[in-house]
Amino acid sequence: MSAARRYCAALVAGLLVAADPAAARTFVFCSEGSPESFDPARATTTTTMNVAWQVYDTLVEFAPGTTTIRPALAESWTVSEDGRTYLFALRDGVRFHHNARFIPSRTLNAEDVVFSFTRQLSPGQPLGGTQEFTYFHDLGLAELIEAIDAPDSRHIRFRLREADTTFLANIAQAFGAILSAEYAAALTAAGAADDLARQPIGTGPFAFESYRPDQVLRYRAFSEHWRRVNEPAGPGERPDGLVFAITPNAAVRLTKLRAGECHAMAFPATGDLDAIRADPELTLLALAELNVAYLALNTTRPPFDDVRVRRAVNLAIDRQAIVAGVYGAAGILAQGPVPPGLWAFDPDLPAVPFDRAEAQRLLAEAGLADGFDTELWYPPVSRPYNPDGRRVADMIRADLAQVGIRAELVTRPWNAYRAALYGGMPSLMLYGWTSDNGDPDNFLNVLLGCKAAQPGGANLARWCDPVYERLVEAARRTGDRAQRQQLYRRAQGLVRAAMPWVPLAHTQVHLALRGEVFGFTMDPLGRHLFETVRFRPLPP
Amino acid sequence: MRVGSKIALVGGVPILAAGAIALAGWMLLAQEERARGGAVLVADVYHDLATARVVRDQYAAADAQERGAFAERFARLTARAEAGLHRLTGFARIDAQRSRIASVEAALSRYRGQMDAFVRRTQDNDGLIREMAQRADTLIDLTDRARLRQQASNTDLARSLAEKVEALRVARGLVSRLGTLRARIAESAVIAKKVTVSGETRNAAEGTDQAVAPAFGSETQRAQVRFRAASRDLSEAMRADGREADADTLDELTAEVTGPIPGLGGKLDAWIERNLKIETSGQESLHDEVAQLLAYSVEANEIEQATQNIAIGTLKLGPRTAGALLRRDAALAERMLAEGERLGQNAAALPISPLIQAEMIQALDGWRKRLTTTIGGLRRQNEMIVAMDGLAAAMVESAKALNDAFVGDADRFGIFIQRILLTGATGLLLLGALVVIFVAHSILVPLRALQGDMVKLTGNPTGAAVRGTARGDEFGDIARATAVFVSEITRREGALRRAKDQADVALVELRRTQDNLVRAEKLASLGELVAGVAHEINTPLGIALTTGTLMSDEARAFRTSLTAGTLSRSRLNHFVDRVEEGAGLLCTNLTRAADLVQGFKQVAVDRVSDEIRSVALETWLDDLVASLRPMLRKGAHSLERTCPPGLVIDTNPGVLAQIVTNLVANAVVHGFRAGEPGRIVVRVSEFEGGLIRLEVADDGQGIAPQHLDRIFDPFFTTARSAGSTGLGMHIVHNLVTAKLGGRITLVSEPGRGTAVQVDFPASRAGTVTRYAPTALGTP
Repeated sequence: MSAARRYCAALVAGLLVAADPAAARTFVFCSEGSPESFDPARATTTTTMNVAWQVYDTLVEFAPGTTTIRPALAESWTVSEDGRTYLFALRDGVRFHHNARFIPSRTLNAEDVVFSFTRQLSPGQPLGGTQEFTYFHDLGLAELIEAIDAPDSRHIRFRLREADTTFLANIAQAFGAILSAEYAAALTAAGAADDLARQPIGTGPFAFESYRPDQVLRYRAFSEHWRRVNEPAGPGERPDGLVFAITPNAAVRLTKLRAGECHAMAFPATGDLDAIRADPELTLLALAELNVAYLALNTTRPPFDDVRVRRAVNLAIDRQAIVAGVYGAAGILAQGPVPPGLWAFDPDLPAVPFDRAEAQRLLAEAGLADGFDTELWYPPVSRPYNPDGRRVADMIRADLAQVGIRAELVTRPWNAYRAALYGGMPSLMLYGWTSDNGDPDNFLNVLLGCKAAQPGGANLARWCDPVYERLVEAARRTGDRAQRQQLYRRAQGLVRAAMPWVPLAHTQVHLALRGEVFGFTMDPLGRHLFETVRFRPLPP
Repeated sequence: MRVGSKIALVGGVPILAAGAIALAGWMLLAQEERARGGAVLVADVYHDLATARVVRDQYAAADAQERGAFAERFARLTARAEAGLHRLTGFARIDAQRSRIASVEAALSRYRGQMDAFVRRTQDNDGLIREMAQRADTLIDLTDRARLRQQASNTDLARSLAEKVEALRVARGLVSRLGTLRARIAESAVIAKKVTVSGETRNAAEGTDQAVAPAFGSETQRAQVRFRAASRDLSEAMRADGREADADTLDELTAEVTGPIPGLGGKLDAWIERNLKIETSGQESLHDEVAQLLAYSVEANEIEQATQNIAIGTLKLGPRTAGALLRRDAALAERMLAEGERLGQNAAALPISPLIQAEMIQALDGWRKRLTTTIGGLRRQNEMIVAMDGLAAAMVESAKALNDAFVGDADRFGIFIQRILLTGATGLLLLGALVVIFVAHSILVPLRALQGDMVKLTGNPTGAAVRGTARGDEFGDIARATAVFVSEITRREGALRRAKDQADVALVELRRTQDNLVRAEKLASLGELVAGVAHEINTPLGIALTTGTLMSDEARAFRTSLTAGTLSRSRLNHFVDRVEEGAGLLCTNLTRAADLVQGFKQVAVDRVSDEIRSVALETWLDDLVASLRPMLRKGAHSLERTCPPGLVIDTNPGVLAQIVTNLVANAVVHGFRAGEPGRIVVRVSEFEGGLIRLEVADDGQGIAPQHLDRIFDPFFTTARSAGSTGLGMHIVHNLVTAKLGGRITLVSEPGRGTAVQVDFPASRAGTVTRYAPTALGTP
């Protein structure tokens, strides 16, 4: 059996080598799930954003592996004294991709930038609308941005209603991706406006080629990418194509990685980490991501509108056991929404204990001494912040059962699950968040702010506290970090008191690579950026 | 009419008639030949065209690699047909034929053009089919790779599954042990409660204590043992799973239990509950994972199956498509195209390795694209075949009509010729016969008259005149000529007689002159002899004179000595010796002179006397040679002689001497170049039958071949300017033949010398045999 396997593997390897080593080499990434859309402005999950990151560029971007802003499509920018006017100077000669139905007639100009933002800003446009652009609205950008205009074709001016220190970091996110206005116009003219989200055209390092849901997503390297044109080639062989082999099961992903079917895999299972470390053909990358896993309690629904019930749930769950059992060494117990790697983290926040008796007492106080029935939603797939939603849900159910809360486990396929959560359907739901811009605002405002509490928003607990909101708003308006830290600590205190969540864990995220590839950088913002990935030269 | 004209008439009429017939026949036959040749040519062209059509069909049906031969054959056939048609134009007699040929030619050229286009298209298509085959091969290779990959992945999957199942088994063991431990705690709690209750009972009713307490105590102890055993079991299982920390915690917690077991709700129970929760959820999760892996493995097997199906489909598709294309079945090829599309969709839908999938789809797309083009090409080819068939049929039909036209024409012509020739020949033969009869009559009548006259004239030439000299034709000419002939003969006879008389007189005169000349020559030869003799004698006489003078001087000196009285004995002796010596010398030389004179006398006598005597040839020859030496000395030539010793013959020595002298003189004068000493040999030999051969040979320059014939002619010489008479050899010839009765032969080779052989009888007695002179020479 073993000999046969070796023979088989050798045969496969032989065939791989025989298949013209000089030919185009495609980098295959075993990804964890299908994207919801190819419209970067509609992306709310890292899975979808990672699909967009390959195709699109933003005005400014985070240097890979960091949360530092650097110029991208905007070569430079200036901020007015009052912090309300941003003037971006666009890079020259940036080319768009092309596809079967569209060949760009011009390079990037201000028109494209105006289009990319105004469609999210102004509802009612053929390619826009409030509902679809959740993230943009969750961040309050629709309210924040007063006007976008182009003084000339190379410059873009953003006029804000008030100063916002998170503005640059916010527009560096996926929804800030710059689309081709020309392409959108062509599609609208052809009556195929929806294809903007199906056949994306961007300026990014890879051009979209094809997509088969739940199976495979193909890109080809964009040789005219502005950064590629200007930068030296460097060592190693640049991939000609990029493929996302969509493989939700972590064990299957690992199997494919081992077989050489993919060159990198997302989120290996916690239980497999030791085996990957031991495998000489594989490399395991790990990084403490800026993320949080939590159980959101819908504060607009009884009985979770009662803070005592929410506190009881918090006390009844043995979170330590969950972290130990499910996350193992890759997780640390979360006490609040902000991960310890972020400067706004409050180490003094008192820990929520595991106290079943107190929980029961609180329930009794709330008139629920006999407990109650509820649904507990858990994600069907492993996420960077939660490797095994089902198991976490199992353990929570067991704990809740001890205090009389009878939870029924519910799940949906990933996209439906996400939609249900954003739609505000469930009462108890497991979810998580990876920072998209490295700013505390990205946790405290997006996940718990009042704007995001609207239907379709990312504030799944639908918790809206005006006092908290003011604190977060204030923190956003000022550029002074100490002052912001102060404001955020107070905000975190409010969250602790109101307990709209049961914070579960912050995680270290893993990614496994095959030995023949290098140049991949783990990103604290959960981005999978393949622009710098190279193949090691084949041994002669 | 003259006889010539009549003969010309007699001969000419049939010749002309035959010529006319032959000419007419030739012209007509040539015409017919043209018609027949045209028909044959048309038949060839027809055959070529029909064959070309078959070859075209073969070309269309053949395999790609065999097509070349058919295309070449087609080209050859049509080129031949075209050349045939071109030649046929030369055979065409009427415009109808020409226009027909032109139309067939035009059709043929169109046909060839179409075939060229067809060949090009089939070549294109064959190229495409080849490429398709390559694609199909690539595809099969790719599907096979995909299948192998899938297999490898399935093997990995099975391993993962086995690992997960093992993990699940461990988790289940832990859960059951945790459950057991918890049950033991509960059991202990129950027992403890019993003990407490019994304790209270005992307290209430004294005396039963002793009996009950040990029973309960032992039960508690047993529970304790069971609890610890369960705890140990769990701890060991945890350690086996590598969870040392948890096992240690359990051991600690178990150790803390020293007294009665704390029961439910205690620290240990909380620990158990927590672990139970973790393990149960882990077990659930593993369950899910195994279920997913199982589902995936089923799916993977299905994928492998589907991949295999695609491979099989591809394998089938290739040959079926190739077959359809070979049979030119566009509809079937179209179905194969649809099949290919289905395969492509299947391949695209399969979650196989994306690396191979892209290549597979690409290969299938390429294959389909080429097939589509090929089918289009095939359709056009089929249309072309139909068009070509139409054209070929029309063309072959035209060729057939052309053939019929040529054959019919030829047949008609043949009958026409037969008639013409028959009529013409009969008429001309009749005419010829009439002319012959007339001419024969007009010639024979005067000819017979002339014959009669001639017979009469033979009898008496002067008797009668020849009749018919007044006629104007050839018979008139003959009569006139005969008359002239007769008178001329009469006149010439007289003239001949006069001339003969004059010639006889001249001959006598001539002979006299010749004799005079011969005599003069003879005297000249004698003169030479005398000069030679004088010279020969001069030497001994000179020596004798000198000796005499010396002796007289010696005698005078002796006398002086004697007179002076100074004569010594030795001087006397010396004088005597000198005298003796002088006298000897005088005697010798004078004897020699006397001998010479005697010899010359004989020679001279011989020269002038014609008497025959017996001659000792050796001695005689020595004397003769000696007399010739002075002649040789001037050119420093040498003269040798050979002679059988003791040979004595009866001959005329004067004649023989003159012959030898003349021949030697000739050799000296003419034989050698100036300044080159030569060698002359006089050789005498004896033959059987009394014949003597005398040969005089030199190694000089020889005689030019053109002179050989004339060498014995009188007055022929090449050195007249040097004083030669040209009579020497003539005289020699006359002497040999007339005086010796012998034979003379001359052999000469330029550059090698000349040899003159004189053969004569050893005895002059008896009959004289005359030999005809022969001059032999080598060219």
